[in-house]
Amino acid sequence: MQAFEYDSDWTELGVYPVKTENDIVRVRQMARQYAKNFRMGIVEQTRITTAVSELLRNMYQYANGGEVTINQGYVEEHNALIFTFEDQGPGIENLDLAMSDGYTSGGGMGYGLPGAKRLVDSFEIRTETNTGTLIRLMKWK
Amino acid sequence: MEDKLDLKNVKQRINHIEEVLSSVAAGDLDVRVDSTVEDDLTGIEEAINILIEDLTYELKQSINMQNDLQEKLKKIQDQQKTIVQQQEDLMELSSPVSKVWDNILILPVIGTLDSQRTQIMMENLLQKIVDTGCTMAILDITGVPTVDTQVANHLLKTVTSARLLGADCIISGISPAIAQTIVHLGIDLSIIRTKATLQDAMIYAMKQNKKSDALITSNLDEIEEREE
Ligand SMILES: Nc1ncnc2c1ncn2[C@@H]1O[C@H](COP(=O)(O)OP(=O)(O)OP(=O)(O)O)[C@@H](O)[C@H]1O
Ligand SMILES: [Mg+2]
Repeated sequence: MQAFEYDSDWTELGVYPVKTENDIVRVRQMARQYAKNFRMGIVEQTRITTAVSELLRNMYQYANGGEVTINQGYVEEHNALIFTFEDQGPGIENLDLAMSDGYTSGGGMGYGLPGAKRLVDSFEIRTETNTGTLIRLMKWK
Repeated sequence: MEDKLDLKNVKQRINHIEEVLSSVAAGDLDVRVDSTVEDDLTGIEEAINILIEDLTYELKQSINMQNDLQEKLKKIQDQQKTIVQQQEDLMELSSPVSKVWDNILILPVIGTLDSQRTQIMMENLLQKIVDTGCTMAILDITGVPTVDTQVANHLLKTVTSARLLGADCIISGISPAIAQTIVHLGIDLSIIRTKATLQDAMIYAMKQNKKSDALITSNLDEIEEREE
């Protein structure tokens, strides 16, 4: 599975391990804080924080944790806040299914992935069975 | 005038210096170079003694510092334990269910709804419904910063369970930003009765109370009339 590329002009705001539910809370708070520093309005803050929350929970629930990298940088002329999620979990076998509304393998609502995609400006996902899952979210300013 | 260096003596003294230095190297800082005569070599012997003194002093310093650090570390660890404990306490405290009015329970939810807390919250509420026989419960989530699918799922489950126990739930305090986000997530909360503010929810619940009171009264009247 090909890792995401990082533009050398981007600023790395932080790298956070996600192992426990407390980490989820902490990274979610960081996400909100960065969105605030980015001068996003309350609606945009809430949207990006919620999307981040979904991916953190999935990472915790299905992949036994992982790592999140937060960057700020220019993407196609947009000033963007960029969240990269990386886990070494089981991967997602049927991605189309997982990305569809209402599909869950774990008694959830099945809206985490498709919902997160709707909440952000850019959503990329790479996954490989037995290797892990990589997701990158971007929110333009 | 200084004594002339006596070669045989010098060899012995250098041997002695070597011994002292290897003792120091092995960690013995109590040894010193003994000099009996004063000559060209004495300066070196004294310099070595001073070095050993310095070394002893620095070592003591660093041991002290290490002890200090260890003490501080222990303090921090203790504090951390206390914080975790307080968090756990807070978790129970911050889901207090109370009966605020005839037939109406209120559960103000504050902070982050992780699964552990939601579990406790749900249990508290359901227990209270059973204990009090209230048929209305207001869950106020003004103090919840993020409502994601998991939180929504828990809310839905809580409302459904409460309904099974005969209580209707109203959820209040969903901010406009959260409302929009829920819609984008795609979650359908339409089966839950929601009100913008706690006050709205209270007014609604009290009206329902009156209605059911009125209904009961009129039903009783009917029964009485029939019996007459
Ligand atoms: N990081 C991951 N690793 C492995 N599988 C995943 C990962 N993220 C999601 N999945 C799979 O994709 C499915 C859909 O995820 P999604 O977040 O949309 O729904 P959910 O987590 O089941 O429920 P919800 O998020 O609504 O509470 C999951 O049920 C799971 O099987
Ligand atoms: Mg999910």
